[in-house]
Amino acid sequence: MNILVCVKQVIDPDKIEYSPATKTVKRNPQHLMNNPADLNALEFALRIKDTFPDSRVYTLSMGALECKERIKELVELGVDEAILLSDKRLAGSDASATSYALSCAIESLGKFDLILCGEHSLDGETSIVPPQLAEYLGICHLTSIVDIKPKDQNTLEVVKKIENALARFEVKLPVLLSVKKDSNSVRFPKLSFMIRALLYEPMILSLDSLKDIDVKRIGLEGSKTTVDEFKEEKIENFSCEIFEQGSFKEIECIVDAVLKYI
Amino acid sequence: MDYFLSEEQKVIKRLAKRISDEVISKVAGKYDKEGIFPRDILDLLAYTELTGVYIPKEYGGFGGGVMEMCLVVEELSRNCAGIAVSYAATALGAYPIMLYGTQEQKEKYLTKIAKGEAIAAFALTEADAGSDVSNIKTVAEKNGDFYILNGNKHWITNGGEADIYVVFAVTDKSKGPRGISAFIVEKGYEGFYFGKKEDKMGIRASSTTELVFENCKVPKENLLGREGTGFIIAMKTFDRTRPGVAAMAVGIAQGAYEHALKYAKERVQFGQPLSSFQAIQHMLADMYINIEAARALLYSTCKMIDSGAKDYTKESSACKVFASDVAMKVTIDAVQIMGGNGYVKDYPVEKMMRDAKVTQIFEGANQIQRNIIASEIVKEL
Repeated sequence: MNILVCVKQVIDPDKIEYSPATKTVKRNPQHLMNNPADLNALEFALRIKDTFPDSRVYTLSMGALECKERIKELVELGVDEAILLSDKRLAGSDASATSYALSCAIESLGKFDLILCGEHSLDGETSIVPPQLAEYLGICHLTSIVDIKPKDQNTLEVVKKIENALARFEVKLPVLLSVKKDSNSVRFPKLSFMIRALLYEPMILSLDSLKDIDVKRIGLEGSKTTVDEFKEEKIENFSCEIFEQGSFKEIECIVDAVLKYI
Repeated sequence: MDYFLSEEQKVIKRLAKRISDEVISKVAGKYDKEGIFPRDILDLLAYTELTGVYIPKEYGGFGGGVMEMCLVVEELSRNCAGIAVSYAATALGAYPIMLYGTQEQKEKYLTKIAKGEAIAAFALTEADAGSDVSNIKTVAEKNGDFYILNGNKHWITNGGEADIYVVFAVTDKSKGPRGISAFIVEKGYEGFYFGKKEDKMGIRASSTTELVFENCKVPKENLLGREGTGFIIAMKTFDRTRPGVAAMAVGIAQGAYEHALKYAKERVQFGQPLSSFQAIQHMLADMYINIEAARALLYSTCKMIDSGAKDYTKESSACKVFASDVAMKVTIDAVQIMGGNGYVKDYPVEKMMRDAKVTQIFEGANQIQRNIIASEIVKEL
């Protein structure tokens, strides 16, 4: 089974800095991390490879060359090949342009039985790249997936979360699935994979190496949305009370304080 | 301080640190309190392939040496020395096989240890033979294709949990230390039982038990080295594994220092953080100096051993003594800096102080180590 996982490198929310002038998030390479939900998607891919060891797991990322260090972390987890789509003309792509660019990259790379994405990225939060990507590729898709189990080489059993309910599906490949954050525990790296990652260089794809891409549909020019305003949300009515640990009476005070907010 | 570790060594340290911080730190208190053997953590170390860092590649290991083993032990010990010693005790059981095992013994046992499929232990100490190794009473008599072992071993780390035990027994009482032999004994052998489990002050996540041999039948091919070489096997093993105790001590000290430093920066007294008081600053500075000195001595000794040096007995003992004394001093100071909060079990430094104590005691008490060092330096005159 050939599995492709889309992994975005996002800014660590604890270290995020905004640029009001350009209405964008400052992308300091040192503060990049792999999008958590995408790692949950990758974990499902690696579990399928555990079941079917002949499977190949690829990752596809889109971003600046500075993303390479974070992409090596995917190799540490057991990815066979990691690919980075990197071209200055992609800068400023919104979700729609990103989906289009990723679909062109995937079609250039070859056929995949299963494409996995995280449901949403920490920075964009649109959740529309996976469905759009499936539409561009012309394959079936399911979102909000919380479990994936391979039934055989051509069929998966998947569980989708719908509000407070779980729906079980059997899906034929090829399919694109978007995975909810925290739907599994992402594994630790193995030493041998980490040693491999030391010298590993991700495959770099430029737009020139993609088949039939329309450059007018990518970057700022090809984006259908623009950011009108970017501002930090003020948290109002926030108060904090500190209780020294200790007596039962103090614990009662904490319980009373919490109950006031329920 | 930068110790110019190789890229591969940095990877090992980073992986062990991650497991220590993300997994061990969360269970250390519970495992210590309830005396839970860390089978799940050892399984994780096996999955991540850290169980094989010091085992040769031909037996499925990473092919590293004492340095690689110590880097893992140090990082695990930053959060729980009890868990770290469960890992390190396997190395103590594996080294005699690496140093003196036959090809068949190495293939049979080291491959399992490297993959984490087997835990090992080292069984030398007896009720009347701790530092006085030559006084062991366990005997092994050859009987056809077997050796028959009778006797008791005390304070055996990984006792009851390990699958493979390197056991020392007297095969010829008339020869004194030259009459001791070493055997590989598997869990489940006829006549091999586990006795009392110790209720210890520290390293409570590790298992420490008595081993009982009652007409235990050990196949003759499980003799390690030749008959009568047991004492040398034990001493040569200790030369290689004492740095593991030093690594444990450095890790405990580092963990305690980190907690004390964080606390000193957060805890406010007289309107300012503890870290602004010079009395506390000097204590923190001394902790840092001692830890770095211990680590420098440890890493230098590891490099010396792994370089293929022939004699490193005094260096091995010196790093064990120095690092364990540093761990004791640093953890006591960490408790002092944290005051009442250091003395109660809500913070981990109380546990670290208890854990540190054993590093001055086991694998040769520090007094015996000083005897060894003195003997070596006097010989060199």
